[in-house]
Amino acid sequence: MKKILISLAVLLVAATTVQAGPEEDRMAFIKYYKGKFPSVPRDEYANGAYAIDPIGRENWEAIEEFPPYEPFIDRGQEMWEKPFANGKGYKDCFPEGPAIAQNYPHWDREQGLVMTLPLALNQCREANGEKPLKYKKGPINNILAYIAFQSRGKVINVEVPKDDPRAMAAFEEGKKFYFTRRGQLNFSCSTCHVQNTGLKVRTEILSPSVGHVTHWPVYRSKWGTVGTLHRRFTGCNKNIRAKPMKAQGPEYRNLEYFLSYLSNGLELNGPGARK
Amino acid sequence: MKRAQRWAALAIIFGLMIGSTATLAGEMKADAATAADAIARAEAAQKKADSVNGEWRDTGKFIKNAKKAAEDGDYAKAVRLANKAESEGNLGYQQAVSQSELKIPSYLKAMY
Repeated sequence: MKKILISLAVLLVAATTVQAGPEEDRMAFIKYYKGKFPSVPRDEYANGAYAIDPIGRENWEAIEEFPPYEPFIDRGQEMWEKPFANGKGYKDCFPEGPAIAQNYPHWDREQGLVMTLPLALNQCREANGEKPLKYKKGPINNILAYIAFQSRGKVINVEVPKDDPRAMAAFEEGKKFYFTRRGQLNFSCSTCHVQNTGLKVRTEILSPSVGHVTHWPVYRSKWGTVGTLHRRFTGCNKNIRAKPMKAQGPEYRNLEYFLSYLSNGLELNGPGARK
Repeated sequence: MKRAQRWAALAIIFGLMIGSTATLAGEMKADAATAADAIARAEAAQKKADSVNGEWRDTGKFIKNAKKAAEDGDYAKAVRLANKAESEGNLGYQQAVSQSELKIPSYLKAMY
């Protein structure tokens, strides 16, 4: 009888774990970081590593006095306002724009995929006979910087619709990617950004994952320009000596879906500046 | 006792010499066919790792360099690089397959 009860208890625990939904995941992350950084208010996580790195924050605030991403915002505005060859423009694709960053990523029922802002922008271009932009470097960062700037203060509210199992599958795929160890260093995203958050890799403080998506695109001093979130994913994967996935491929879009959900409730503050 | 130690040291040195000679001989034996075979095995391992999204960063680079070395006639280098790539491919595959099920790490699991 005792054995049966123990087995039932184990099964119950296992079932509870398996059934952990997006909100349970988000709360688990928040609880974990709260335990690790008890004095950091939740809203502060929108500032990434600078929520937990006072010295880095001072430098960052000094950089923000003359933001290095400003010229990219201006170029992005030109792109937003300039019509395509067919006379239409981004405004026609996104009539509620340009402050639309808070609407992404979202589950696109029609296409059955996670729709990110860069993918939506390129679909708009292609629908209007324009060539798609590259997803990591170059002009896509201009238009993203403009949209991000216009979307400042909007609150992240990613939804995983319960009535479409494909959405939950995409979220779970993103979660799986996040926790999977890869590359020669055998690290997962979680190794750096949960287990070792707050510790240093060389001179850099490892940032918490809550807040990872608030500030893109980012002007990185290392890059000397503005780059996309998927460019950063690529860099992370290379750092752990794993072959990176394709930018805007399903793996990174699903990862973005998962990561963005973790930041629900935080304000967007892009474009950002980072070292 | 001292004599025994001396004999042991000599035996070790002798063994190492034979081992090095054998390795060198093995490397010298590498020819175009051996290199091609090693590269083919490396490419198969790379493909297998990629099929489960487990490929490592430098595997492709090692294969590329192995091909270049083979073209230049440095078959020993080609074999060495190809073997390295094959090993990475196999390890990357095993790494990915061993994590086919999602496992929340213990440090976070306690928060659920």
